[in-house]
Amino acid sequence: MRNWRKLTSTFAILLVASLVLSACSFGGGDSGDAKGNVINLIETAEPPNLDSARSTDSASFTILNNVNEGLYRLDQDSKPTLGMAAEEPTKSDDNKTYTFKLRDANWSDGKPVTAKDFEYAWKRAMNPDTASEYAFIMNAIDKAEEYNAGKAKAKEVGVNAIDDKTLEIRLKQDVPYLKDLLTFGTFLPQRQDIVEKHGEKYALDPDKMVFNGPFVLSEWKHESSFTYKKNDQYWEKDVVKLDTVNVTISKDATTSMNLYNTGKVDYTGVGSEFIDSNKDKPEYFLQPESTVFYTEMNQIKEDSIFKNAKIRKAVMIGIDRQTEMDKILKNGVPAAGFVSPAIRGNDDKKFRELAKVNIEYNPQEAKKLFDEGLKELGLDKAPTVEIVGDDTSGAKDDLTFVKEQLKQNLGLEVKITSVPFKERLERGKKGNFDLLLGGWAADYNDAMSYLEIFTTGYSYNRGKWSNKQYDELVKKAQANENFDERLEQLLEAEKIMIEDAGIAPGYFRSSPSLINQKIKDMHWHAIGPDYSLKWTYVEEGK
Amino acid sequence: MLKYTLKRLSYMVVTLWIIATVTFFLMHLLPGTPLKNEEKLPEHIKEQIMEKYGLNDPLPVQYLNFMGGLVQGDLGASYTQDGREVSGMIAEGFPVSAFIGGQAVVFGSIVGLLLGLIAALKRGTWMDNLSTMIAVFGISIPNFVLGALLAYFVGVKWGILPVALWESYASSIMPSFALALVVVAIISRYIRTEMVEVLDAEYMKTAKAKGLPRRTVVFRHALRNALIPAITILGPLTVNIITGSLVIEQIFALPGIGEYFVKSIVNNDYTMITGITIFYSILIVSVIFIVDILYGIIDPRIRLSGAKE
Amino acid sequence: MNTSEKLSPDLFKPAQLDSSEGEQIRKESVSYWQDVIRRFRTNIGAIVGLSIIILFIVMSFVGPYMNSYDISTQNYDIQNLESFSGDHYFGTDKFGRDLWTRAWYGAKISLLIAFLAAFLDVTIGVTYGGVSGYYGGRVDNIMQRFLEILYSIPNLIIIILMLLVFEPGIIPIALALSITGWVPMARIVRAQMMKLKSQEYVLAARTLGASTYRIMTKHLIPNVMGPIIVAVTFAIPSAIFFEAFLSFIGLGLRPPGASLGVLLNDGNKLLQIYPYQLFWPALIISLIMLSFNLLGDGLRDALDPKMRK
Repeated sequence: MRNWRKLTSTFAILLVASLVLSACSFGGGDSGDAKGNVINLIETAEPPNLDSARSTDSASFTILNNVNEGLYRLDQDSKPTLGMAAEEPTKSDDNKTYTFKLRDANWSDGKPVTAKDFEYAWKRAMNPDTASEYAFIMNAIDKAEEYNAGKAKAKEVGVNAIDDKTLEIRLKQDVPYLKDLLTFGTFLPQRQDIVEKHGEKYALDPDKMVFNGPFVLSEWKHESSFTYKKNDQYWEKDVVKLDTVNVTISKDATTSMNLYNTGKVDYTGVGSEFIDSNKDKPEYFLQPESTVFYTEMNQIKEDSIFKNAKIRKAVMIGIDRQTEMDKILKNGVPAAGFVSPAIRGNDDKKFRELAKVNIEYNPQEAKKLFDEGLKELGLDKAPTVEIVGDDTSGAKDDLTFVKEQLKQNLGLEVKITSVPFKERLERGKKGNFDLLLGGWAADYNDAMSYLEIFTTGYSYNRGKWSNKQYDELVKKAQANENFDERLEQLLEAEKIMIEDAGIAPGYFRSSPSLINQKIKDMHWHAIGPDYSLKWTYVEEGK
Repeated sequence: MLKYTLKRLSYMVVTLWIIATVTFFLMHLLPGTPLKNEEKLPEHIKEQIMEKYGLNDPLPVQYLNFMGGLVQGDLGASYTQDGREVSGMIAEGFPVSAFIGGQAVVFGSIVGLLLGLIAALKRGTWMDNLSTMIAVFGISIPNFVLGALLAYFVGVKWGILPVALWESYASSIMPSFALALVVVAIISRYIRTEMVEVLDAEYMKTAKAKGLPRRTVVFRHALRNALIPAITILGPLTVNIITGSLVIEQIFALPGIGEYFVKSIVNNDYTMITGITIFYSILIVSVIFIVDILYGIIDPRIRLSGAKE
Repeated sequence: MNTSEKLSPDLFKPAQLDSSEGEQIRKESVSYWQDVIRRFRTNIGAIVGLSIIILFIVMSFVGPYMNSYDISTQNYDIQNLESFSGDHYFGTDKFGRDLWTRAWYGAKISLLIAFLAAFLDVTIGVTYGGVSGYYGGRVDNIMQRFLEILYSIPNLIIIILMLLVFEPGIIPIALALSITGWVPMARIVRAQMMKLKSQEYVLAARTLGASTYRIMTKHLIPNVMGPIIVAVTFAIPSAIFFEAFLSFIGLGLRPPGASLGVLLNDGNKLLQIYPYQLFWPALIISLIMLSFNLLGDGLRDALDPKMRK
């Protein structure tokens, strides 16, 4: 008995001690109302890594965009503007070699930003030992692809620091989107001394990295929050008005909404449930995205009915996407084609404005085509098909809607298989589906980013749709340095893709969000980082 | 006792080895790779990176490498949070989970014990039914619904406690409360069941006949015996509450370890899967060990039969 | 007093002693099960619980046919209708699907999963725990080590893996739940067995030459029935909850299928906007929980042989 009592009390003491100890782990309560030059934001995921050579996710790229700066950065209108580059580059006669002059700018520790920092960072990303999962974004540079695949040496790669302030870039061929491409996170500079000092731990904590952008990362509580402070060393620090930006990590849409409604944060994404009750508020806005959702149709299975173009077309025009957008998903517009409306066409117009196709919902025509297609295949009745998609609630809603539409409009019975992301990839890779729901977001601001993925043999083309004419056009465009002709070829390629219904585009997504009206000039980008805080300020007196 | 403890410890090591092995081979059945940008990555570069991480080696080779690291206490670096050590990530998240979970278990056990006692001593009366109702209320709504209700009413509508985040002690109250109700329900049910049985036992009549005060009878003789199943369940329950608070941690945006259980599997984060499994296993194996020792202290009969082995 | 009556010597004859008469059973013998039913019937809570469960089981089959809708047909003109709009007794969801139909259909699926999982838990758990606890010694030791290993693997890993291999449906979910679900049952039974087997009446039975099988089934199992029943009344609700949890993390039934978990998860997101979409499934699940607990208590009391008077 006495033993027992002793044990109980030891237990109690241990318990109290551990409670007290863990109480030390509480974060500080530093977020609050937007006051002065402080704002509070929400991020939906913990950034895995702030090593720009290895980052792959939007949370990391967004932070990097605000704490670092490449040759160009995205401006208020999401167009590339000069960053570390002092002026527009000089071009060689063959238009393949660009020479950049860097401006006088410092890292946050006071050391100057040099051309060497760029050369080092880029080659580090391409180096196969780095195992970067985004190095392929640099393939436009001469010998980059070869070096990344271990088939060329580092010194052969077309990036060269001529001197401290001069950077030479040699391209495989000239491309119209070079400036946009250079805003991408993988093209940010890195300091060799800092990277080597921290090795594997580089950029895992704010004190293990340096910054050359408008802000510095002052604190990073993993899985919980991080904080930006104004960077006093930034070359254009007079433009930067915010002193502090607190970012809280909240993964649940309802939780984020609650935090916004109690004034803990000044910005939140809005889950589809909350759209109706918020869409008339002045704080409501649609954050642009470049994501297009589409359905791939299996061309490899022996008895796939989707080998028939009429049936594919029936699926494409037989789903009422307008109703889906208005009443169910509420976060986008029906896809008129495959290339997102965010993508540029020429200097004046977006690709979509110039497009030669426009997908329109037509259930009667769809039914007619479907029946004709079945007849051509010699079938009385279509077999039940399986549609594979992600297991997120948005994807499940989409699957549910598509299933019902195909049943009602075409009489096609569909079985839904919603699976985790990795499983969907695996299914796609193995061709283990009839219909496959997927999404694509651009890596750079050009239609090529979309159209090349459905060429024959491209690993992303999992339905294995193949069209010679299409392949040829895309290939020609890839090699074409006449940008007007190139655009024409891409527009034509998209037209062929839609007319042959190689895939069935569904909708262009955008993210409904709420933001405190006192926050001005926070600029959102469809491609690359989510937003720029460089010009953001808090309006006083409201 | 020392010999017994050593023997148990060696069993624990074997148990952990088997679990690590089983988990290792099971997780390699998962579809896909641990790469983050797997979807967009060109196939040949993907192969090259897999090669670099040694993920293309034959499974037995990978297994030996994994075991080699494990023996040296190295769980490896996470694939999804590349560069961060798995052990470091667990060490950062665990105190948060342990705090809300521990608080929930302490509070839940006390309330559960009281409710169970009342129900047993007043069996068949309205007090019995009432305490059943209270206990059942706790488990009648899944905790994600309860968490959402609490966050909305207590946090947003009434503004009594913070809606989410991990900022002060107040941040831990709602999450712990949401977790504690399950403990209340389970503990009170077990206590009631056992007490009812024990109260009818012969030795209870003896104790009463000896003229012992009711309090002594109930607490010293009855409760001590009734605690056995409750303790059996309490240890594992604690571990499960601490590690399984995924839902509550997500609703209240807490930086705990709960989410790693699902996230690591969904992302094929091999090192994290094995790391979190081994961590969980060590916890539960230790708890079972402690429970067995507690048994001996509370119930001398078990000590006897244990000694016979 | 009637003093006038004469006392006759007849009255003083010695009574005839028949020793067998004392052993004679005058009343019809009450079997164990009759006794159980008699005791059960006096327990109002248990009767209410049983009635609700029966009602829900009936409704889960009949309910979906009480109006003209099915679980999957969508109608965008009648999205999110309030409860009791025409014959949409529970209203409609965002796809314009009838929630009454979906709720009862969902209840059927959830109950099926739960009963199947509980049945597997009991069958495996009682056998395993019984054998392990009764034999003790080396057998127990080996069996316990195996149990410890199984118990120490986070069950989520196995469950998620199983659901990735098989598609989430009634049987895979139930199987996945019972892969580790029977372990607590086995532990409880073992603990009870160890306690009971050293008691005098078991020794007596053994001395009288009762076979192991007879001792187990006639003397031990009935005595551990109480804890088993309590464990079952937890196993069923917790299976229902686990299914709900799987829906929460996205691994539940595939659309357009419905279960209480799917409905709760959908409704939970709409708590702040259309609370009725959460209310009905939550009410059904709560009543199921409450009923199983009341029933469990009643059964426990009724089944306990020591309660026989």
